[in-house]
Amino acid sequence: MIQNVWVIPALPLAAFLINGLFGRRWLHRWTGIIASAAVGLSALLAIGVFFEVQGGGHESTTVTLYEWIGVGDFHVSVAALVDPLSSVMLLVVTVVSFLIFVYSNAYMEHDHGFYRFFTWLSLFVFAMLILVMADNYLLMFVGWEGVGLCSYLLIGFWFERPEPYVAAKKAFVMNRIGDWGYTIGMITTFLVFGSMQFTEVFEHVDIATEANLTLICLAFFLGATGKSAQLPLHSWLPDAMEGPTPVSALIHAATMVTAGVYLVARSMPLFEAAGPSLAVVGAVGAVTAIFAATIALVQFDIKRVMAYSTVSQLGYMFLALGVGAPVAAIFHLATHAFFKALLFLGSGSVIHGLGGEQDMRKMGGLRRKLPVTYWTMLLAGGALAALPPLAGFWSKDEIVAAAFLGGYPVLWAIGILTAVLTAFYVTRAMWLTFHGEPRDHHLYDHAHESPAVMTLPLIALAVGTAVLGIAIGFPPEAGFIHRFLGPVFEHEGAAEHAVEAATIITLAAVSVAAGVLGILVGLSMYVRHRPDPAAVSRAAGPFYRLLVNKYFVDELYDRRIVDALRAAFGAMWAFDIHIIDGLANRLGWLAAVGGSGLRRAQTGIVGNYALTIVAGLLVILVAYGGYAAGIFTR
Amino acid sequence: MDIFGAAFFALLTIGTIGAGVGVVLANRITTSALLMAFTFLNVAGMFVLLGAETVAMFQVLIYVGAITVLILYGVMFTPQSPRPYGLFFQTQKYWAALFVVPIAIFVAVVAFEFRDSAAAGGSGGDLVPLATSIFGDFAFPFEVASVLLLAAMVGAIVLVKRDEE
Amino acid sequence: MAVPLGAFIAVSAVLFFIGTAGVLVRRNAVVILMSVELMLNATNLALVAFSRRFASIDERGSVFVVFIFVVAAAEVAVGLAIILSAYRNRPTVDVDEIRQMKG
Repeated sequence: MIQNVWVIPALPLAAFLINGLFGRRWLHRWTGIIASAAVGLSALLAIGVFFEVQGGGHESTTVTLYEWIGVGDFHVSVAALVDPLSSVMLLVVTVVSFLIFVYSNAYMEHDHGFYRFFTWLSLFVFAMLILVMADNYLLMFVGWEGVGLCSYLLIGFWFERPEPYVAAKKAFVMNRIGDWGYTIGMITTFLVFGSMQFTEVFEHVDIATEANLTLICLAFFLGATGKSAQLPLHSWLPDAMEGPTPVSALIHAATMVTAGVYLVARSMPLFEAAGPSLAVVGAVGAVTAIFAATIALVQFDIKRVMAYSTVSQLGYMFLALGVGAPVAAIFHLATHAFFKALLFLGSGSVIHGLGGEQDMRKMGGLRRKLPVTYWTMLLAGGALAALPPLAGFWSKDEIVAAAFLGGYPVLWAIGILTAVLTAFYVTRAMWLTFHGEPRDHHLYDHAHESPAVMTLPLIALAVGTAVLGIAIGFPPEAGFIHRFLGPVFEHEGAAEHAVEAATIITLAAVSVAAGVLGILVGLSMYVRHRPDPAAVSRAAGPFYRLLVNKYFVDELYDRRIVDALRAAFGAMWAFDIHIIDGLANRLGWLAAVGGSGLRRAQTGIVGNYALTIVAGLLVILVAYGGYAAGIFTR
Repeated sequence: MDIFGAAFFALLTIGTIGAGVGVVLANRITTSALLMAFTFLNVAGMFVLLGAETVAMFQVLIYVGAITVLILYGVMFTPQSPRPYGLFFQTQKYWAALFVVPIAIFVAVVAFEFRDSAAAGGSGGDLVPLATSIFGDFAFPFEVASVLLLAAMVGAIVLVKRDEE
Repeated sequence: MAVPLGAFIAVSAVLFFIGTAGVLVRRNAVVILMSVELMLNATNLALVAFSRRFASIDERGSVFVVFIFVVAAAEVAVGLAIILSAYRNRPTVDVDEIRQMKG
């Protein structure tokens, strides 16, 4: 199975080609079935690969397709690195993708761009799989860019309205800034190590100076920041909610945004040897986590709440990487993929049931009307709030515990505080949507539960959310996933914690308490109105406005950066018009002036022409005389 | 003997140079034409002094004979209205002086180089060597020259022909 | 005493110079043509002088002079034809007034 690992991305690629070429005219609804089947088969293969890696002693294998570039000293192959880390990623990507594909068949049913949707989505899965399977930075970059492209195409899916395509542009541009960082990292890696292949680079980490390594790592982290929406390149993600909800679930929750985490996790040997880079990663992750959580507190669009939540949870993953717990980061990546996808798909179900409404202020009491959606989302919300025994608890708790045990009390405190905020906003979102009295009776009356094609994936994800944590993460630090992924990250420099059971339980208790606190505050405010949410927001006044306006980050970017760039571009345009074009025009003018000047020699008077002949004669005489007199020499 | 040669040469020189200046500066165009003929004659004399009698004969025949007549025909067919003497000269005369003076200096220098040369004028006539060369080595150019004359004649006729309807 | 070669060359040079001056200075086209003939004569004189001074078997200088005669004659004929043609156009042979080639 491992040797056939290239079939896994080939199937979505085939689906993309078939749907793209034949979807509009002939295939129609079948595009959804073809795409889902392709991804489903890939998922089965990924499961097979996973078990084979697990059974084979957690070794890493390289499956090479062909040598792609061979120029001088620069050799890059199209090859897949199959090891525990990539097999976990393969599994997560394909399984979650499959469920979302099934769901989309119903969700996008009435959309006239149905075939286009599945075409781009298939391409996306292909690119993401390439990213995850690549054995070198250049091939990974192909997938990296591919997912960025598909993100753009899918965010701007409903391009008839202006907001989606503006959001798509914004996403792409911010991603590009990150891509610039990735490129610098990639090129520097080649310059320093002579190769871009993971295994080759990681074996020879010691030949690089710390300064070089720091440059490489920070450059790659810039790329991860762009792709995974961390500060300061985070603001594209909430805007990306303009895309269809399955897109938000798949790309902006479960897979693409995790590519940054995967990049850093894969490059851990570099980061560990590069001094302060891990500290930067952890700090940025922590700050982003709490920053985004505060914004999520006051958002009214249900998808925006989830978007900021995603940014926040990604921050947790980077925090984990920063404190030297990459296994915890990947663990949280996997659990988050399940429960966040579930939250998004559930939101999509709500939106679908309400005929397109996304504002929570118009919802309320929907649990009676959408029971399956309600219960599955409740489970996912609990996971997000890190309540045991749901999946989110195991992974998030491990992250904050690692922070504490690794000697980063400040980061631990931020993590706990963010957990409180997370639990609060989840409670708020759930309450506003499903509980209380319906605020818009017209919408309420027409609300209906989604068809089975949509609810079955919800249930499947809910099962995963419930059991995944225990299944692979228990007991903490010693569960299946630790044994599975441990060898990937194990080498000199990996932090070893001496774990006492008592410490672990205490830390876990604190995490749970934080979550429970958040929930209780949320219930108190929204059920009993003690304190009343409206009063709190009035009292918080300017601080509230700050949060609702997302800290004015977009406005800041617009004014400082975009305007500055516009000015620069204006200057360049002026340069082009006046100097470059001016140069061409001046040359033409010069030719014209020269011509009319020289024209004055044509007097038309024959005598003048004779004079010119005589002048020439004079020159010849002088020259000849000079030669003869020895003044000039030949 | 030689004193006669030198005196003859001096005479011819005065004639040549004087007539030449006269051609350029003369008041009436016919005067210029006739002075030109006189120059030719003097040059023919110099040829004789050098011992090139055949060439001298050709000079007289062609230049004094044909070319002078041609020029006079030209003068006859292009009458100009009388005008003041100053207008005989082109407006560019000052520029001309600028260019011509250096040439004059140059030629003077060149001539000066030869001042110590031995006497000119070889022994014997020039008829035999001339004939041998022309009809021997240079027979082909000789034929080409006749074609040239033919072409010139035809060309001149064509140029001057009036278009008769 | 025999006449030195330099004397002939000097005469030739002066005559050439006079002829050049005439070409550049006179307005009447026919006079210009006459000056050109002066120049040709000057060269003929120089050629024959050199040829007779350094006489070799075949006197090539003089041969060249004979050909110059031919060419000079042809040139005068054609030149005068042109002048007459131009005179028919506008009844002037003043070279300063013929400016149609201006520009």
